[in-house]
Amino acid sequence: MSYLGLNAVFLGLAALVAAVALWRRPAARRLYAASALALVAVLVLTAVFDNIMIGVGLVAYDPTLISGVFVGIAPVEDFAYPVAAALLLPALWSLLAEHPPGRTRSTTRRTTRTRTGRMTEATHPTGPTGLGHTVRQVLLSSRPLSWINTAFPFAAAYIVTTGRVDALLVVGTLFFLIPYNLLMYGINDVFDYESDLRNPRKGGVEGAMLEQGLHRTVLISGVATALPVLLLMLVLAGANPWSWLVLAVSLFAVVAYSAPGLRFKERPVLDSVTSSIHFVSPAVYGLAVAGALVTPDLVALLAAFFFWGIASHAFGAVQDVEPDRQGGISSIATAFGAAQTVRLAIGFWLLAGLLMLVTDWPGPLAALLVIPYILAAWPYRSISDAESERANNGWKRFLRLNFFTGFLVTMLLILWVVLR
Amino acid sequence: MLGFAYLLALLVSLTGMVVLDRRFCLFFWRAPRAAAVVLAAGVVFFLAWDLVGIFAGIFYRGETAFMTGLQVAPELPVEEIFFLTFLCYLFMNALQGARVLLERRRAA
Repeated sequence: MSYLGLNAVFLGLAALVAAVALWRRPAARRLYAASALALVAVLVLTAVFDNIMIGVGLVAYDPTLISGVFVGIAPVEDFAYPVAAALLLPALWSLLAEHPPGRTRSTTRRTTRTRTGRMTEATHPTGPTGLGHTVRQVLLSSRPLSWINTAFPFAAAYIVTTGRVDALLVVGTLFFLIPYNLLMYGINDVFDYESDLRNPRKGGVEGAMLEQGLHRTVLISGVATALPVLLLMLVLAGANPWSWLVLAVSLFAVVAYSAPGLRFKERPVLDSVTSSIHFVSPAVYGLAVAGALVTPDLVALLAAFFFWGIASHAFGAVQDVEPDRQGGISSIATAFGAAQTVRLAIGFWLLAGLLMLVTDWPGPLAALLVIPYILAAWPYRSISDAESERANNGWKRFLRLNFFTGFLVTMLLILWVVLR
Repeated sequence: MLGFAYLLALLVSLTGMVVLDRRFCLFFWRAPRAAAVVLAAGVVFFLAWDLVGIFAGIFYRGETAFMTGLQVAPELPVEEIFFLTFLCYLFMNALQGARVLLERRRAA
């Protein structure tokens, strides 16, 4: 039996189940529209990952039993698996679960960039107190949704440079995953609380991110989780002065952003620069600690990331121009005005894209990634300060874009490694 | 250590699926019992496909240092079960995600 023959049997079975489902549950037709869309996404993933899996030797095929049509090095027959999933799984689901419970969730949710200068969402659960509640609040204060934003740059930089998985990678990723964010956002929430209190227009106590009773706990958890992991990381990294310097700058930026006295988040331009350092420095640390060779390429890439971060922070500040001014708080957007800041952001995104053009193949492909950002900000290029709140729609688009861009950057990185 | 690389990658990916499921109420967080049955049935279906393919000599376990070497059947590495679980979970998350997107578009 050939691979095609085998697939015909199992695709036939899957199609049969699909037919039964459509007959018993006519409403399943809608589900199949969604299934077609999901299939497109999974086929793309299959094209990428099947090639990798075959490339590293996880699976092999008898060349006489396959059709000889390949997508890269993957036999085209492999794509029958996702096709079968698209036929079979929605059928089973519609037969078993299509009496939708329509459950809604009880936590209220709001997208916040306000006052934190951050690209995250926060939840405001109301309810019980106790140890579980405390742990939950502390974890929430570290913005679990954005853990990946700092861990990924480190892990990617380290793995791409060293090409191996080792203890330092695991410990470093852990550090930039949780303790780093607990420090960064914890300090931010604690000290924003005080300036929120001084500013009744911001909602006073109600608007605060973190209840006051937990301030000490959050700060202590940040330091207590960061210290041991940090020490372990330093021991594993060995004597590497450059990496110490980078780590020092990184941690300084974490503290300086919101700690009283420094409050870089309220200093125009410095706010965007510091925010960008929060995301770029884990990558630079990963490179430094892995002993990466400093090439013009690499510098261009890091500069592009840095400018992307500046642009993103600046654009995020636009929606808060009015409330910030009323509260007597400065930001890059209150200093330049809404329209000017949007244009500045567009300019920095453009610069990031241009820098990517000078990197090694397939780096220049990443230049395309800045286009959706520029398009998202473009409608607000002439926005007045009074109506700057409208930029919030662009910001929401920006947040969604980040997931998509993160995915594409990862694919590019994999491609880059494969090509080396 | 290296022998666990593929398994580890699969577990990390599965964790991602669970996190997305939980956050957006996609699969197990939508209908736990149905999800369990769909996932189990999907994995069994694809395992049968694999086994017939292995029996027919179409594909076999590759020569690689990235797998543990544990096999649940001849030429069927333990990792394959995790892979198939991941594939089904991924598809069901993508399916519900696509459905939400389409419904939102229709409503808009």
